[in-house]
Amino acid sequence: MIKRSFFGITAPRLTYEPIEEAFGEPMAVKPAKRITLLMDAPLGKAGGILIKPGEAVLEGQRLQLLENDPGNYAVSPVAGKIFSVEPFIGMMEKPMTAVVIDVEKSGERSRDTSFKEAAKSTGIKEAVGFFGGLPGRPDFKIFSDSGKPVKTIAVVGTESDLMGVTAQYVIGSNIASVKSGIDAIRKITGIHNILLFVHEQMAQVAGASGAGIKTVDMQYPAGSRDMIRMALKSEPARDGEIAFFTAEAAASIGAAIQTGELPLDKLVTVVKKDGTRQIVKAPVGTHVSDILEAVRQGVESMDKVILGGPMTGYAIYSLDQPITQDTDIIMVQDSSAIPEINDTPCTNCGACVRACPVDIPVNILVRYLDAGEYEQAAEEADLFACIECGLCAYVCESRIPILQFIALAKHTVQRLKAAEEENA
Amino acid sequence: MPDRKKLTVSYAPFWHDGSSISTKQYHIIAATMLAVIAGLLRYGAPALGVLSLSVGSAMVWEYLMNLATRRPVSIADGNAALIGLLFGMLLPAVTPWWVVIVGTLVAVVIGKQIYGGIGGNPFNPVAVAYAILMISWPIYLDFNAALVNYSFDFPAAYPLVLMNAYGAGGIEAFSLTDFLMGRQTGGIGATFGLGLIVGGIYLMARGFIRWEIAVSFLAGIFVSALCFNLYDPEAFASPGVHLLTGFSLIGAFFLATEDSSSPVNFIPMLIYGALGGVLTVLIRNQGAHVDGVIYAILIINLINPIIDKIRPKATGRVMYHA
Repeated sequence: MIKRSFFGITAPRLTYEPIEEAFGEPMAVKPAKRITLLMDAPLGKAGGILIKPGEAVLEGQRLQLLENDPGNYAVSPVAGKIFSVEPFIGMMEKPMTAVVIDVEKSGERSRDTSFKEAAKSTGIKEAVGFFGGLPGRPDFKIFSDSGKPVKTIAVVGTESDLMGVTAQYVIGSNIASVKSGIDAIRKITGIHNILLFVHEQMAQVAGASGAGIKTVDMQYPAGSRDMIRMALKSEPARDGEIAFFTAEAAASIGAAIQTGELPLDKLVTVVKKDGTRQIVKAPVGTHVSDILEAVRQGVESMDKVILGGPMTGYAIYSLDQPITQDTDIIMVQDSSAIPEINDTPCTNCGACVRACPVDIPVNILVRYLDAGEYEQAAEEADLFACIECGLCAYVCESRIPILQFIALAKHTVQRLKAAEEENA
Repeated sequence: MPDRKKLTVSYAPFWHDGSSISTKQYHIIAATMLAVIAGLLRYGAPALGVLSLSVGSAMVWEYLMNLATRRPVSIADGNAALIGLLFGMLLPAVTPWWVVIVGTLVAVVIGKQIYGGIGGNPFNPVAVAYAILMISWPIYLDFNAALVNYSFDFPAAYPLVLMNAYGAGGIEAFSLTDFLMGRQTGGIGATFGLGLIVGGIYLMARGFIRWEIAVSFLAGIFVSALCFNLYDPEAFASPGVHLLTGFSLIGAFFLATEDSSSPVNFIPMLIYGALGGVLTVLIRNQGAHVDGVIYAILIINLINPIIDKIRPKATGRVMYHA
C-alpha cells in the first residue's frame, strides 16, 4: 500500500506500475473442476431459457441464455456439462445469471466449429455475434444504437487500475494480434479513426498496431476510460460518440481472425499479499481459488480478495467466484493490511478536493450524501461528474468510505429515475 | 467442496494513504512545542499550570459532552487537547484558574460540541472562547495588568498597547530580533516568533495545514501594514512589527488554518487568508481593540461558506453512468 508522502503540499501521486522488461510467459492455469460464467441478464421465471442443466457443451460454444435476447451470451471456454443455471446477485443488486459448467476431464478437445464456419462462409461481419464472449469483453452494441453516431474508436492499452500490468503485457507481447484486431474492428465498423492509448514506455511497441498512438500519463487515474473520454472530448473538432475497446479485446478479436478459433484464456495480473506480481492465463470463468492455488497464495479467514485493482475493484465473498472477461487484476490483501474505515464526520480538511481529478466539491458532496439528500447532491455538488476513481476515499483523513457513499447515491438516484419513468 | 473461509468484504478503494485525524492533531501539537517551551522558560511554573489546566479541562469538557450527547468518546483524536493547548498559548501566564476553565468550556462546548463535534464548528473554537472572555473579563486578559509582577530584561509593556497608544514611536525600544526571539510580553505561546514560524513551516511542508491560508494571511498583514506605514510612518508601525507582535503568527499558522472553519478551494483560501490579514491590521490601526487577530479570524470564519463557493467547474459532466 502506498502511504502518504512525507511532504504533503501537493496532491498525492499514485502511479501505474510499469511492466518489467522480459516479464516471461504467463502461468497457465486450468480450472480444477468447475467454471462459472456470469451473464448480464436476470434469469426470468418465464420459459425461453436456452441453457439447461445436464446439457453437454463444447469448448468455444456460444451459449445464449434467453431465446429472445441474442445479445446475452457467453462463450464456453471449456468442454463439459452444464451443472446448474442459477440467479446471481452482482454488484449493486444487479440481477445476473451464473452458469456453472462441470469441466470434461478426458482431455479430449472437443471444439465447437461454428465460429470458424460462420467466419468462413458469411465473412467477418457475421462473426461479431461471437466476440462478445471473448476475454476483454469486446462490445459492439454501441454501433447498432442508432441514436449515437460513433466517430472515434479508442483502444485502451492502459491499465484499468494500479498494480495491474495486464494491458501492458498484451501490448508488449502480442502487438501483432492487437493490430489484426484493430484492422478487423475497422473493417467491421467502417470507422477509420482508431486511436490506441498506451503509457509512454509502450508507445514504441504500440506503433506497430497501425492505429494512431496517444500516450497517457502514468499518474492515476489518467489511464481510466472516463479520463480518456474527457481528454478526447476536450479536443476541438471531435464530435460524435467514442467507442471503447480494451487492448485485450482487440487482441482477442485479432487472434480469432488469425487462427479461426476463439481465444478463451483471460490474462490476469495476480497481486500477492507481499505485493509481488504474477501474470496468469486462465479460461474465463475459472474460480479464483484455482488461480490462487496455482500461484501458491494462501488465503486465511478475514483476508480480502479483490477482483480489479486496489482503487476500483470489488471484494469477493467467496473464493468460488469466477474471473470474468474483464477481470484484469486479482489482489489478495492480508487481514492486517486492510485499512480501517470510520464513522467520524468530515473535518473539511480538503484533501479530497485537492485529490479529485474532475474538480468535484467532495467536501460538500459528502455532507449531502451523509444526510441522504441524493437529489440535491446531484444538482448542487456534481454527484454524476464522479468517475469513481477512489482517490477521495484514499486520502480521507476521517476515513469516510466516500466512494461507497457516491456509488450508493448514484444507484439510488438512477433507480428513482427509472421508477418515475415507468410510472409516468 | 464449497469454501467456508470467511473473507472480509468492503467497497473500493482498498488502499488508504495512512492519514488520520489524530495524526494531524498530534503533529500540530508537536509543532507548537518550540513556542510553548520558550514560553515556559520565560514565565516559569505559572505558565505550565495554565497550559496544563487548559489542555486537561478541554479534554474533560469534551469527555463530558461525549457522555451527555451519547456519542463515541472522542478525546483520543487529540482535537480537544489541541484546542486546550492553543487556548492556553494565547493566555497570560498568570490567568486565574476559573478563567481558564470557563474558556475551555466555551471553546469545547459552545465552540465545537454543540455543532456536533469535530468538523461541525463554523467558527474556530479557540477564537470563540478568547473573544467571549475578552468581552466578559477583559481585565484578566490584559497582558500589562497580568504580568505586572514579572521582571524582564526588556520593556515589560505589551507592544501592541504601546503601538496603539503612541504609534510607531511607542515601540522604538524593540528591534525585530527581539520580537523574533520572544523578547516581548504576550500570551504564553504567542511571543516566540521564530518557534511559531518553524512550527508553521513544518506543518505547511507536511501538508497538515493549508499553506495558502497561512501565507496569504501573513501577506495580508504585510501589505496592509505597509500601506498604513507608507501613509504615515509616525503613526503606524512597520509591517515587520505587525507580523511579529500580538497573535499574528499563531493566528496565521494555528488559528486561521483550522479545518472546519476555513475554505478548501484554492482561490477562496487566498481570499480568506488575505482578508484575515487585512482585517487584523485595520482593527489594530483604526479600531479600539489592541489586537485584531481574534476578531479578524471570527469574521473570516463567518464568510468562509460564501467564498468557498468560488470553485472550478467539475469537469466530469460529460458522462452519466448507466
